[in-house]
Amino acid sequence: MDLLPDEIKPALQGVIPSHVVTCSRDGTPNASAISQVYYVDPDHVALSHQFFNKTKRNIAENPRAVAWVISPETFEAWDLELEFVRSDTSGPIFDVMEMKIEAIASMVGMKGIFKLRAADIFRVTAVRKAVGERIPLAEIPGPR
Amino acid sequence: MAADPHDSSALREQVAENQQTIDRLNRDLARKSNDVRIIQQISSEITSTLDLDEVLGIVLRAMDRVLGFAHSMILLKDLAADVLRVAATRGYADEGAGAQVLLGEGVIGVVGERRKMMRIGNIGASMRYLKSVRARMEAAGEVGPGEAPVSMPGLPDAQSQLALPLTVKDRLVGVLVVESRTPNAFDELDEVLLRIVGNQAATAIDNARTYRMVEQLGRLKRFFSPQLAELIIRGGADDPLKTHRREITVVFLDLRGFTAFAETSEPEELMGVLREYHAEMGKLILAHEGTLERFTGDGMMIFFNDPLPVPDAAERAVRMAVAMRERAAELAVRWHRSGYELDLGIGVAKGFATIGAIGFEGRWDYGAIGTVTNLAARLCGEAKPGQILISPRLLPEVEPLLEVEEVGLLAVKGLARPVKALNIVRLRHPA
Repeated sequence: MDLLPDEIKPALQGVIPSHVVTCSRDGTPNASAISQVYYVDPDHVALSHQFFNKTKRNIAENPRAVAWVISPETFEAWDLELEFVRSDTSGPIFDVMEMKIEAIASMVGMKGIFKLRAADIFRVTAVRKAVGERIPLAEIPGPR
Repeated sequence: MAADPHDSSALREQVAENQQTIDRLNRDLARKSNDVRIIQQISSEITSTLDLDEVLGIVLRAMDRVLGFAHSMILLKDLAADVLRVAATRGYADEGAGAQVLLGEGVIGVVGERRKMMRIGNIGASMRYLKSVRARMEAAGEVGPGEAPVSMPGLPDAQSQLALPLTVKDRLVGVLVVESRTPNAFDELDEVLLRIVGNQAATAIDNARTYRMVEQLGRLKRFFSPQLAELIIRGGADDPLKTHRREITVVFLDLRGFTAFAETSEPEELMGVLREYHAEMGKLILAHEGTLERFTGDGMMIFFNDPLPVPDAAERAVRMAVAMRERAAELAVRWHRSGYELDLGIGVAKGFATIGAIGFEGRWDYGAIGTVTNLAARLCGEAKPGQILISPRLLPEVEPLLEVEEVGLLAVKGLARPVKALNIVRLRHPA
């Protein structure tokens, strides 16, 4: 469906940290800052999984999420509605992400300590420019 | 139904947006066709020469002038070690040539190790993020205190890097890097362009490197054994023929009674004895990986720790000297039966020398100059038949191996004080 426009690509390079909101089975929301939402193709993004955290746990219970990303060039923000597809531990998407993480980790003495466990692939189900507006909690999809 | 003013403004907006898209596509297309033309030009340039420095220069100049990448460098894979060395740079205040990157370290090292291209536009943000993760883990006692940060050649504050492995048939030749202080400075199109130029550059660089090696090998073979010449080339060391200073252990030997023998014997006899002696000593030099500096009739000078550095130069020298003494004693028995009174004397000394190609066009030698060579020659001159005289400076390294006896003090040209000479009685643990 080509939901992700070209102009969003700079926001998916990890220059400005992104935020991801997930929801547990019982409806408790959780917002986390993450270093990068990776561009995969016009309909998919990937999140890196280094540590087991609440985002990871919530996705296992409820496979939907909203990511908020910002372009470092224009400071425009977008909301991406996401649906979890699969978790890759090998393959081209995983390789590209893992290489970058290893390159940086090796420069701060974290080689072998900080490494990519999986590339979590999400389908983008909606993209909205978030022009100065915040999304009310009630509009975030997920079971209540 | 009357047109809704909101609708018409929305329509106008849509038209304007479409026009923008068309303009952008046209610009991209123009850039692409221009790029294709430029790439053809670059590729014909880089395949037109076999000079390595020229090839590297052409590639980096094209990065800057044609593709607009102001900061670029090429690192070449060391032939012997898992290291990439900066071979050429463009757009830096400091040339940085010779700086090293270990395979697997940083963007460049990981690209070299994986042989996969990397485009990264958030180095600063990623480093800050990881440093904060590290600080938290350190505070929680999950990791030890940080090691010193790895220093990388190039811009110290690079935000974006595009690094391409240069490979020929899956063999890593080097890494081509362009970088910028601006985040997200490179896009997918840049990746494509770099890949096209890089593929051709890899082949051209590899050819030029091979050509240079064959040339160097030819030159080195005039000075060293073919095996040693290849070792030097494969070691990727600096050109050994360039003058340098290094601490070496020098072994001097000659035959006692040779001058008298030369005067009284037939030329065929003389050359026969000399050939046999040279052949036998030559085998031992090769076996101990010594560098034969010169023959002077019955004399020879061999040194250790250059051009190939060895950790045990003194030990090799004394072991070779002892082996030579034993072999010469066997030869002397036969010589004696033929009526020739010839015995070997050896001197060994250690010290700094200036080393390099000495001579003139048409007659170059690899030579060492310094007090150490005078001292070894002097010790050799003083040695009685069957003696190996060594200078005391060798002793700390080889004392456990040897039984020695003092034979007195020697005055040596170039040294203010006389030198104590020690004779090697025997090896404690023959090899």
